[in-house]
Amino acid sequence: MPSDIRLNISGAVEGLVDETVIRRLVREAGGSLDRVYGRNGKTHLKRDLGGYNHAAQHAPWVVAVDLDHDAECAPPFCRQWLPQPATHMCFRVAVREIEAWLLADREHLARHLSVAILRVPPNPETLDDPKQTMVNLARNSRRRDIREDMVPRQNSGRTVGPAYSSRLIEFAETEWRPEVAARQSDSLRRCRERLRELISNWIPE
Amino acid sequence: MRKTENKALRFTRIHLENWRNFTQADAELQRRVFLVGPNASGKSNLLDVFRFLKDIASVGGGFQEALRRRQGVSRLRSLAARKKPDIRICAHIGNDENPIAWAYELSFTQDKQRHALIKSERVSRNGIEILNRPDEKDQSDPERLVQTHLEQVYANQEFRDVSDFFASVRYFHIVPQLVREPDRSVGKQNDPYGGDFLEQIARTPENTQKARLRRIVEALRVAVPQLVDLELERDIKGAPHLRGKYEHWRSQGAWQTEEQFSDGTLRLMGLLWTALDGSGPLLLEEPELSLHPDVVRFIPQMFARIQRRYGRQVLLSTHSPDMLRDQGIGLDEVLLLLPENEGTNVRAAGTFTEVKELLAGGLSLPDAILPRTRPRNVEQLSFSFVD
Repeated sequence: MPSDIRLNISGAVEGLVDETVIRRLVREAGGSLDRVYGRNGKTHLKRDLGGYNHAAQHAPWVVAVDLDHDAECAPPFCRQWLPQPATHMCFRVAVREIEAWLLADREHLARHLSVAILRVPPNPETLDDPKQTMVNLARNSRRRDIREDMVPRQNSGRTVGPAYSSRLIEFAETEWRPEVAARQSDSLRRCRERLRELISNWIPE
Repeated sequence: MRKTENKALRFTRIHLENWRNFTQADAELQRRVFLVGPNASGKSNLLDVFRFLKDIASVGGGFQEALRRRQGVSRLRSLAARKKPDIRICAHIGNDENPIAWAYELSFTQDKQRHALIKSERVSRNGIEILNRPDEKDQSDPERLVQTHLEQVYANQEFRDVSDFFASVRYFHIVPQLVREPDRSVGKQNDPYGGDFLEQIARTPENTQKARLRRIVEALRVAVPQLVDLELERDIKGAPHLRGKYEHWRSQGAWQTEEQFSDGTLRLMGLLWTALDGSGPLLLEEPELSLHPDVVRFIPQMFARIQRRYGRQVLLSTHSPDMLRDQGIGLDEVLLLLPENEGTNVRAAGTFTEVKELLAGGLSLPDAILPRTRPRNVEQLSFSFVD
């Protein structure tokens, strides 16, 4: 059997950036993210979680969700969302948002956004609003294209700029180093470990 | 010099009176505009105003020709108008720094013999009026009022930029089957339905062509990450074909020709090509058609990035929640078309306090606005057939 046959994993996430991040992490753990569900925000993800968990009785699944301010930390959040995870369910919570995982590779993010590394906060999991931090970093970018893509216009009424997600997708896909970021973000470190376990412990039925 | 100046120009505001189903409408226009509304609310009619101005200003066009293409004044006039009032169009052109660099206003009606007549035509630059018709000459020779000054090279000298700007508007509604079977549209040039899309690419000078195809691959990367290269080649008969190189993790990558592209990919390529071809406002009718919802979600981002580079305005109509789900779409970029008894109302999503509150409470943009654009009496439709 060729050595590059990878375990296909199904996944569910909140949005497009999350998808790219999880895809990257699954690939890195030796698997391949096959089908991706959700991507319609947190409310829909919560609604469908029961279905995903049911499917995870017989196949490997990863579900990633932002903690936001729903709980102080991840354990009570997990108990509330998914009290009984199925055997092959890898349910992961990003503290407090997936942006924190990207912020955790300070050096490469600073380079990608053209900002001084000192501007990237060292403890991303303590941030109150990582998405806002990301936008503010972009606001300080030396590059106009990055500012225009990621920072919302004055009257837009939105929290992010017009090409915010595609900029982050690009970063997560290419320059982001999960192994470096995991040193700054405990929730990312755990996510990588659990994914590796999920894949290495898998025995086809 | 003038070219770069033109590049940044866009429609910044449109005001309509008695135009098709808009008895009265007024809207500020951003660089991206998403027109959202129920069927028959007038999305295409709103886009048609910009095509109308283009038709007046274009070579081979003119005021009378633009009306003929629309079957005359009475077809254009709002059905809600009880008397026969004038149709009035006022467009502001500018950019973020100077939103009213130019204002162009045209009102017209028809006489008893159904001849279209201009009632007034005004142009101002930076608030200073440079044309105000009817003038003395028009009064002494009413025959002059069958043509706009906009369409006349000798009369529009002082506001040629406005005329050039209107003429630069492009309308686009690509149909993938036409791209595949170009015979159906032989001889058509700049066909808005995409019939000569591949020929258009082939006619472009090689360097520009390569640069654009490279940008298309770049823009597509977010949605079609396996596509690494695109090029145009001709078959033995000389017919142009697009082929793309896909990277697979198992092999060295493989080339596919356009017959193997999905309708969606081809349509998306057509869209992006058009977005890169030219600098005037781009009108797109439901670009989501025949695209997979996953790909539709990237359209706003793709246009945002192309726009940032070229400043080109894009006005598109859409029904797609997937398109509107993008978090980067500004509330001032979304115009809701709301049918009322007296004609359709146009309002930016951001002018509704409730929409803002729903978003702040965690709803997505489509969830917050689409209930508003639902036809009001949809549950009564079934009864109307019984009556």
